[in-house]
Amino acid sequence: MIPQTMHSIFAKPNHDEASRQNFVNDFRVHLASKVFPGNFPAYFGRVLPAFIKAQGREPKDRHEVRKVMTKDPYYQLWSAMQRNSQEMIWDSVIDAVERQLPDLLKKAKDLKGKGSLTLNPNVEVPKYHNAADIHLQPGAYHTDVAPDDLSAGAIYDRGTYIYSMGGLGAENDGLGRILQKFFHKQYPDKKIERVLDMGCTIGGSVSFWSTKEPGTEFHAIDVGAPCLRYGHARAKAVGANVHFSQQNAEKTNFLDASFDVVTSHILLHETSRQAIQNIFKECYRLLKPGGVMMHLDLPQAFGQNPLEGFLWEWEIYNNNEHFYGQLRELDTADVATKAGFDPAKFKIHQVASTWDDGQTPYSNENFTFPVYVAVK
Amino acid sequence: MADDKKPVKLPRTAKGKKPIYFDSTTDKLLSMVLTLMGELSVMRDRLDTVERLAEKKGVFKLDDIENYELTEEVNKIRGERRAAYIARVLKSVQDELDALQQQGDGMNVEITQ
Repeated sequence: MIPQTMHSIFAKPNHDEASRQNFVNDFRVHLASKVFPGNFPAYFGRVLPAFIKAQGREPKDRHEVRKVMTKDPYYQLWSAMQRNSQEMIWDSVIDAVERQLPDLLKKAKDLKGKGSLTLNPNVEVPKYHNAADIHLQPGAYHTDVAPDDLSAGAIYDRGTYIYSMGGLGAENDGLGRILQKFFHKQYPDKKIERVLDMGCTIGGSVSFWSTKEPGTEFHAIDVGAPCLRYGHARAKAVGANVHFSQQNAEKTNFLDASFDVVTSHILLHETSRQAIQNIFKECYRLLKPGGVMMHLDLPQAFGQNPLEGFLWEWEIYNNNEHFYGQLRELDTADVATKAGFDPAKFKIHQVASTWDDGQTPYSNENFTFPVYVAVK
Repeated sequence: MADDKKPVKLPRTAKGKKPIYFDSTTDKLLSMVLTLMGELSVMRDRLDTVERLAEKKGVFKLDDIENYELTEEVNKIRGERRAAYIARVLKSVQDELDALQQQGDGMNVEITQ
């Protein structure tokens, strides 16, 4: 794992905490590179032949694969270890945050920098967010355990880095880098004065944009107060200028036609079907004429073979990604049209997951993220 | 930190239904084995740091470790550390106990420590 950049608000691990975190990373690298690939010979060598023998045909979709593959002992062991590794990420990270929490709270208070933070305790955490702790992060993104708490954000910053095995770059902001690069390639002449990032968690992506484009006004919203507090502190620590506020992306308090760009980075798959419709509608309302909506998210099921589709959905059933399922087959063009966008101005781009210095998540340069783009 | 307040304890178990992979007991055993793997790796790293520092600074020789005598104070410190270690490895059992106690359906278990 390449070392993560430790900005001043980072919960730096001590000797054993760092060692434990490194172990979890190395264990996950081993699972991904040496254990996960065994699912293919297990499927093609015995699960698929047994299915064909019993049914006289191949499985017609990923759901049929799930029924048989989840009974295969090799898959079960990989899956159980993968689940454990996810739980171990958080346990290893929480140690460092818990130990330093009073110090982190003080540092956040004393930190000088740009931007702002507006919290609204009346914002309700939606059901799709608090029904289960997403990604198994205990307490998820919204649980306050102390006054002015930021622990969820501090845990998220390190935990997602280990989750991606350092794949989002030393600053853990690779998704922002991917989308910023995509935007300027796609719209080289567009002038942007005001940008909104929805579901920003700790604002890694939007903070990157802000440091690259200091003349632009950046806003970022999320429902999770401890992540926003940490995000504001983190933005100051990395020299960004972002205005954070606690709001639900389905209905914000910003004025009509007040943004040139509205983005999200892997937000949609954490929300419900109805919420996505509401979010697209809100994007339409918030954009100026000619403004651009861009949502980067995880792959849909279209074009994936049944085994591939099944394996992609491991996260749904084993990592509390329950709402990814509804995005997998969602007709996003229809959602955009119903939200008010011209269907001719909506497009799903498959965006390569690399950024300027050639880094790429998951060490797979063929991996692409779908980006749902619409111009008002 | 000089603070009368109790240190904040962060939540350690994610909300949501946990899948069963093999059966409840086997799943726990796997968790324990993997946690032990991790803890042994942490310990080996720490020992490696100590050995390298000792060698670098000329503080002691490896023979000194072999001849080390345990004092009562050190024994107490080690005992506390071992208790935390055991709790970490057996966390999946604690999780089940917590869930049983939360059910409040007559299955509550009194714990004395």
